[in-house]
Amino acid sequence: MAAGRPYWKGYLKLSLVTCPVAMSPATSESEKVRFHTLNEKTGNRVVSQYVDSVTGKPVSDEQEAKGFQRGENDYVILTDEDLESVELDTVRTIDIEKFVPRDSIDWIYLDTPFYLTVNEKIGDEAFAVIREAMKAQDMVGVSRVVLGRRERVVILEARDRGIVVWTLRFGDEVRPESEYFTGIAKKGDAKSVSELETLIKKNMTDWSPEMASDPIQDSLIKLIADKKKAKKPSSKSKSKSATKGDDDPKSNVVNIMDALKKSVANELKARKAG
Amino acid sequence: MAAHRAQWKGHLKVGELTCAVGLYTAASTSERISFHMLNQRTGNRLKREFIDSDTEEVVEHDHQVKGFDTGNGDYIMIDPEEVAAVVPDADKMLEAEAFIPQGKVDDIYFDKPYYLAPTDDEDQDAFASIRDALVKTKATAIARTVLFRRVRTVLIRPHGRGLIATMLNFDYEVRSAKEAFKDVAKVKVEGEMLDLAKHIIGTKKGEFDPAKTDDRYETALAALVKAKSEGKTLPKPKPIQVSKPNDLLNALRESAGMAKGPSKRPKAANANSGKKAASTAKKSTAAAKTAHKKAS
Repeated sequence: MAAGRPYWKGYLKLSLVTCPVAMSPATSESEKVRFHTLNEKTGNRVVSQYVDSVTGKPVSDEQEAKGFQRGENDYVILTDEDLESVELDTVRTIDIEKFVPRDSIDWIYLDTPFYLTVNEKIGDEAFAVIREAMKAQDMVGVSRVVLGRRERVVILEARDRGIVVWTLRFGDEVRPESEYFTGIAKKGDAKSVSELETLIKKNMTDWSPEMASDPIQDSLIKLIADKKKAKKPSSKSKSKSATKGDDDPKSNVVNIMDALKKSVANELKARKAG
Repeated sequence: MAAHRAQWKGHLKVGELTCAVGLYTAASTSERISFHMLNQRTGNRLKREFIDSDTEEVVEHDHQVKGFDTGNGDYIMIDPEEVAAVVPDADKMLEAEAFIPQGKVDDIYFDKPYYLAPTDDEDQDAFASIRDALVKTKATAIARTVLFRRVRTVLIRPHGRGLIATMLNFDYEVRSAKEAFKDVAKVKVEGEMLDLAKHIIGTKKGEFDPAKTDDRYETALAALVKAKSEGKTLPKPKPIQVSKPNDLLNALRESAGMAKGPSKRPKAANANSGKKAASTAKKSTAAAKTAHKKAS
């Protein structure tokens, strides 16, 4: 994913200063162990395809079109090119309208993070100026941008040499807390609170990404490696004892990790094509 | 709290205190615009079918099983029970394992937020005590438990009278910011440029309430659909001018000037006007002041 094409390309604008930028997701599922759907009878992959709902015949990619429903069985066909001419500046430009202190935006509104970088040499300086000024003022920018056919409100936060862009949830996407919190006691028990304070202070520690590890992923990788080994002598064998052989299990785990990455890459390719 | 269905029910444990709690979805994504997939030739709707990648026969749901690609087009079937066996037994216990000062967790890890509320009236005191202690120590708690068939890490922080549990992305799902930004050129930002940009930000300081946001795309799309169905030619997007490095300072000066209205456009940009600017130093905008400082 790292060297792949950006998710979004466009322009970052502060008043009369404009620079070309690219945006890519800060999170990715590409390392996650993923399962495929197989045909039980043949062992082959199951893939989805589009068929014409009336003729029942498969429809090739080129024939697929997006339709906006105008009435019953009445659609306006929109091509990707059409969609690009939607008259909103935010399709291609993140124009920073406003700046606010970071802590004025509640965490609950943060939806998806992206990394924003300058996309052409010509913009290096303008990008740096916008970023450094936000850092110096300790402010985040507020803007809008069209992503995935929705106009999202975003905040921009300078970080290292780049900018983190967060899409924000819309007001109606966050459920009113009062429906969940009304009726909860106003005050805790003074003695318990002070005991807990002592405990919390004693166990205060620094954040580390290891706190977000996924032990099940490791187990799944091992399970798959075991299955792969068990499969070798006889494909129908389900015996688990075969996995406890004298072979070096370590090297197998490494291979399976490579295989995983490869299969994920293949799948991504397939998905992009489809 | 009774009106909503909990996504998860269990216990919250901090030190010696335990209380029965539920996790409730705090945010949901609404899909606004949906298109239908059509066959361009016939104009008919499309539907999805699941077929065997090799034989191309339709595979009924009953014959679809989970499997894994070993890398060379070879697939291994995996029994769902074997996958389930990998997940440890759910003890339904959100136990605080560590506490981190508020704001010190890298927010890129944030996944979905859940409201965390007591489900048993008898536990009101314990719940409120945990909440108040987190408020007083300005701390967030880290807990791990089996949620949605995966061992998940959640961040627990006070929010009003309740708590919010934010599920975290797994470490391997988060791309490193350092890595992502490593190709961005190191540019030293000059004094006046930085001052001007800071000034522009200053004039755009404001308040923002994320609760009051709407999606304007729908309206714009409706206009597009109308134009297209009336057979009008769709407008071509206008080219966008980027600031050339040579013009950057001017663009900043103009931007800074615009913010104060066109009449007070700062002009003390070159050495010639430097003396003049010095004699009338106090009348001008902040942007002009910084320009003057550099000129003298």
